[in-house]
Amino acid sequence: MKKTILTLMMLAVAVVTAGAQSYRGVHQYDGEHKNEVSGYFTGGDNVVSGKFFGFEASYRRHLADRWYVGGDTQMQFWKQLYSFDATGGYCLPVKFGHLYFDGKLMINRYQRWGFTETVFNLSATWESAYFDMRIGESLIHFRSSKWGEKYGYTEPLTLTFGMGVNIRHRTNPWNIGLYARNYDDYYYENWNINWGIRWYANINRQMRLFGEFNVRPAGSISQLASRYEGSMRIGMKYKW
Amino acid sequence: MAALAAGALCTSCDKVSPQGVLMAGTAVEDRVKMSHLYYKEYLNDYEMNLDTKNVQDGEYTFLVGADSHITDDPGRLDEMLKIGLDGDDLLYAHLGDIADTKPEYYIVLDSALQKAKERFVRKNYVQNEYGRWRHKNNPYDIIGWDYNEIHFPFFPVVGNHDLTHNGWAMWCSLFHSSFYEFDVCVGTYDDGRGTVYDHFIFLDTASGTLGKTQIDLINQGVLDGNYFNEETGGFQFYRHTFVFSHTNIFRPSSMQFASTFSREETFFLLNQFEEWNASIVFCGHVHAWDEREYNKVNYLTLDSMSERNSPKPGDYLLRVHVHKDGSLTWERVHMDYVAQK
Repeated sequence: MKKTILTLMMLAVAVVTAGAQSYRGVHQYDGEHKNEVSGYFTGGDNVVSGKFFGFEASYRRHLADRWYVGGDTQMQFWKQLYSFDATGGYCLPVKFGHLYFDGKLMINRYQRWGFTETVFNLSATWESAYFDMRIGESLIHFRSSKWGEKYGYTEPLTLTFGMGVNIRHRTNPWNIGLYARNYDDYYYENWNINWGIRWYANINRQMRLFGEFNVRPAGSISQLASRYEGSMRIGMKYKW
Repeated sequence: MAALAAGALCTSCDKVSPQGVLMAGTAVEDRVKMSHLYYKEYLNDYEMNLDTKNVQDGEYTFLVGADSHITDDPGRLDEMLKIGLDGDDLLYAHLGDIADTKPEYYIVLDSALQKAKERFVRKNYVQNEYGRWRHKNNPYDIIGWDYNEIHFPFFPVVGNHDLTHNGWAMWCSLFHSSFYEFDVCVGTYDDGRGTVYDHFIFLDTASGTLGKTQIDLINQGVLDGNYFNEETGGFQFYRHTFVFSHTNIFRPSSMQFASTFSREETFFLLNQFEEWNASIVFCGHVHAWDEREYNKVNYLTLDSMSERNSPKPGDYLLRVHVHKDGSLTWERVHMDYVAQK
């Protein structure tokens, strides 16, 4: 009972004070379930597009103990951003945590401005009891509908990096933590480093609530890192 | 400790004040509001800044430099100002990070600009028998009694290093506005359609974002220029539009870690440049040369002209030639100055 009350309090605090994005938690395959589906609601305020909200959905299929594949999609209204991706990964258990290697191929359509972005990312994540970090590289290409098929801009390789810390061991049924990173579920950037609060809370063995409150500045610290976008996300994950 | 770490991360230079980096200052929203108020009040000053005797039959040149990061040695800026004066350039444009993270460097900067103005005035102006200033080549173009009414045609945008020591107070005391536009009259259409102008737009991108106020003003058309000239009763047309921004759009290589705009703002700006029918967009910030063209808009990113970032002589400046027939060419201009040991 005490645990339930505490969990509900955490949820209430997190929902009210935080928001969310997608801290589903990175989890080694437990050998029992094969499928994971999750989704979240997102809303926020962006300097260019103003207020926006949207929905996201994800699916993961565990092919074996260490291998998985999946796909994600989102729609953000007002910003008119539509995305989908295909992803796959491998988990290597190590003594002090786990190493994950994953790849993602993603397409974003920024309908409001008529741009289509194609992104390929390869990353490695190290997850320990309380701390996780991620490093990788992204190849980003974008083009405008007005530029024609032949023209587009391929950015030089963009470093992907991020880290997070939790207040409780990662195997606990609820957790809350802080993070900083230069990417999000559907974009990879240069030195515009997001930061925020993340949390999750298991409802039962199959369902998890999760969320994030994300602050996305424009510019690096030497550019004063001005406010660019604030957003919240809250979602649910179900495995079977 | 945090200040030291931030200083080391941001600049790695002993001439930078770590405290200054943290004690940032005026954010983009306030800068743009201040700039826009000033710009509305003193719009004519921007046009008066130009000695258009150098525009002959619509032909002229202008000189662009970036990231001078002046500390106590203004050598490279002095050289830029001399090159412009010797080359009879219509105007100078500076792409930001003009001085670096300590207030006293603005005294060095101000002194360099004042000396250049003196040379500019000696070359182009003379006082008549009543003590009034006029252009040397045009006895009827009388400026006034006051030397201060002669404007030195130096047009900067603000850069992030111009801010990171509460430097906005220093920067705007010299340059007043970080968000403005002006026209250069280059002739009239033979068919009576009106006056032809070239259009210069200066954006405040020092913080890596335009900010909500600036985006709203752009969406309201504040920088679009005046298409109907009430004085002449005719329409004016833009032959070329040149846009100046500190933060770069494109990264020259993966090793350039300077931050660019976020995704949505990049796409917003690329569309806006096309809407303005921009001929060239000039950027700085990243300290590396880059040149590309999309949908008839040329994007030129300039290397740093600072003697600390680019110690060896090199082609750090850019001179744009606007030709009589309306065509554009540009050349990179060599700088020889090497810092004294």
